[in-house]
This record gives sequence, structure tokens and C-alpha cells, in this order.
Amino acid sequence: MDLDLVFKKLIKKQVNYQSDNLGLNLLITRLRSKYAKKPTPDELENCLQEMKAFFSKYSSILQKDIEMLKRL
Amino acid sequence: MLVTLEDAKKLIEKGKVLHIAADESLLEQLPKGNWIAGTTPYFITEQGGITCKDKLFVNEMDCAVEHKISVYDKDNIFDITKDSYSNGITFLVMPFASDVAVYFAKEAPNSGDLLMNPTVGWITGFDLSTDASAKVFDGSSGKSYGDKAVALHICLPDDKIANLGIVNIFNIDEGDTKIEFTEDTLSVKKCLINGKEMFLYDYILENKINTQLPLVADYNGTYINVSIKSVSEEDKTVDLYAPVFSGKVYRFSSPVSDYAVSFAEQLKEFKDLKPIFSCNCILNYLYGELEGKATPPFAGPVTFGEIAYQLLNQTLVYAVVTDK
Repeated sequence: MDLDLVFKKLIKKQVNYQSDNLGLNLLITRLRSKYAKKPTPDELENCLQEMKAFFSKYSSILQKDIEMLKRL
Repeated sequence: MLVTLEDAKKLIEKGKVLHIAADESLLEQLPKGNWIAGTTPYFITEQGGITCKDKLFVNEMDCAVEHKISVYDKDNIFDITKDSYSNGITFLVMPFASDVAVYFAKEAPNSGDLLMNPTVGWITGFDLSTDASAKVFDGSSGKSYGDKAVALHICLPDDKIANLGIVNIFNIDEGDTKIEFTEDTLSVKKCLINGKEMFLYDYILENKINTQLPLVADYNGTYINVSIKSVSEEDKTVDLYAPVFSGKVYRFSSPVSDYAVSFAEQLKEFKDLKPIFSCNCILNYLYGELEGKATPPFAGPVTFGEIAYQLLNQTLVYAVVTDK
């Protein structure tokens, strides 16, 4: 599945995914809380961009997570 | 590694980039150089936990291709993300109970930038049997502070990346009582116990809660602890070592019968890890009677709070640098 779509579902709590990576778990928690406080398309897009930036920076250590997320 | 004062001086004189933990009396004697430090007389070494005022625990940052040291206070602490290298890691030391540490504790979880810039470190402490105070040192200037934070920003080679992790021996029973708070705070009076408002103090007393056990919140599968600092019968206040946050569900941890055994059990999966830094909490050291007990592959200062992106309690924190 398209990762952007998975990220959006993750932020909206429509799917769950727990990582072994501390930073990713803290990010998911923060973005879910941020979006829950302001559930608008703009906020979802902001959260998505944060998630993409995190995965872009840490892609080398998040390969396992990326594969698992694609399967959601 | 634990080294003598003379050996620490030699490393500094060679120009090594260092993170140091030691008693204040030793840190005061170090020459200026590429180092930051915090005070504690407690360590967990490869041989086991010790209280020691005649040696220093040193982490050599051989992975640094570039570095800079910065000092922060409450008003600019979050500039650490602006000052950090785009591919690096930041070591942060803050004195126990300082304004900057309290502010960081409350605000760090709201900072998205911190997650993009690995920040690891600790809250510095002192010998609990004395009336000493916690300090941090900026080795580049030779100055020490009781009210400021000091950061060592490390730039990594392009083919390396830093990652942070924690080891938390505490667990929760999902069926246990839910505790929620209506504000972000370090000092609690009323809270919601399974949705019903009551004094946290009364709940602790009525349920004979062991306050050596932390409150634990689930951050997407990662358990984050908040330790109880004190409970006051006088005004029914419960003071905490890290803030609780509104909107989070907390539960008291299940009991831990033997801290050293629990650590040993959890550390099995880390046996091949080569951390460049780690630290463990003074409460684990004291309540878990870790003196004389090692936690391989982790060795480092015993601290009054741990930092891995945000302030943590009763947790072992570590940093690794790996190939991209």
C-alpha cells in the first residue's frame, strides 16, 4: 500500500503499528495527539509531512518498519 | 570507562571529544578542552554499580567529525535543535531541579524538532548523603553551572547515523486502574481514577501503593515512566520527578521482585550492541540495590533523570551509532 496512505491512517488511529524504534513510537504518539486536538485536513497534511521527514531522515534504520507498514 | 583524574587529563590534552561524569571535586581539576560533564558519584561500570569520588566515567566520542559545545537556559533550551548538526547526535546535561530541566521536562514532548535531532543525556546529581548540589560543566570554557544546561553537539560521518533506545524493566497490567490528569504537571492533587475524580494521595494511601513503583504511560508500545518524588499528607500533594500529561492514561507499574534479574532478562537482546553512551536512574540503583551488579553491555553514570528526546524516569537510556 502507498506509505502516505498508511501514515494518514496511522495518524488518524485507523490502523495501529508499534515499532521497536523509540523515536518512531514517540512520533506516532505525538502526531496522533496533535491531530486529535485539531482533526482538519490541513493538520493531517502537517502531520503527514512530519512523518515523511522522519522516515526520510532515518530510512536506513527504519527499513523493517517500512516493510511492515506497507503490509498494513 | 572509569578512569583516574590523571588519565582524564591526558585524554583532554590529546584533544579528545569527551562526555564525562564524576564528582564535582574531580571535574573542577580538569583542564579546558573538548568536553562536557555532569556531577554524580554513582556509576554502573562493567564490573558493577559503585559509589566513587576518585575516578571519572568518560565516554570518548571517536565518531565525531566535528563538534561544538553550547550552554542554554530556560529561555533558549529548545535552540538545541537549531544548533545540532543535520546528521549528528546531541549530548545534554542539566542540573537536578534547575529551571531549565523543569522547563525541558514539560515542553520536550511537544517538540517535533527533537525527534529529528537525537538528543540524549541526563539530569546531573550529587551524593545523597551530603548537602552538595548538582552541576554541569562546559569544558571549553572551564565554567560550571547549577542553573544552566550544557550540550555537546556531535557531527557524524555521512555513512553513520545515531539512534537512541531505552530499557524499561517496569510493566503494566492493562486491566489495572486507569489514572488520568487534567493538566500537564509535576505536582498532583486531584486526578481521575477510572474516570472518577479523587486525590491521588488518597488513592495511593487507600490502595497501599508502593511509591517506589512509577506511574507508566503507553506511548505506542513504549512504556514511559513517571516516578514519585514525595507524597505530602499535609496538603495531599504528590510530587513527581517528571511531568504527567493530560490526555495520557497512566497506571502504576506492576511490582518488580528483583531489579538486577529483570535487567539481566531484558538485556539479553542487547548483548551485541556497542553503545557510545548509556546511563541508568538513581532510583533503579537504590531501589534495585544495583551496587556491585553490572548491566552489560551498558555502563555509565547513575543519574537523577534520563534524557532520550524527552525526560524519562527509572529508565536505562542508551545511544548507538551505526552504519547507514
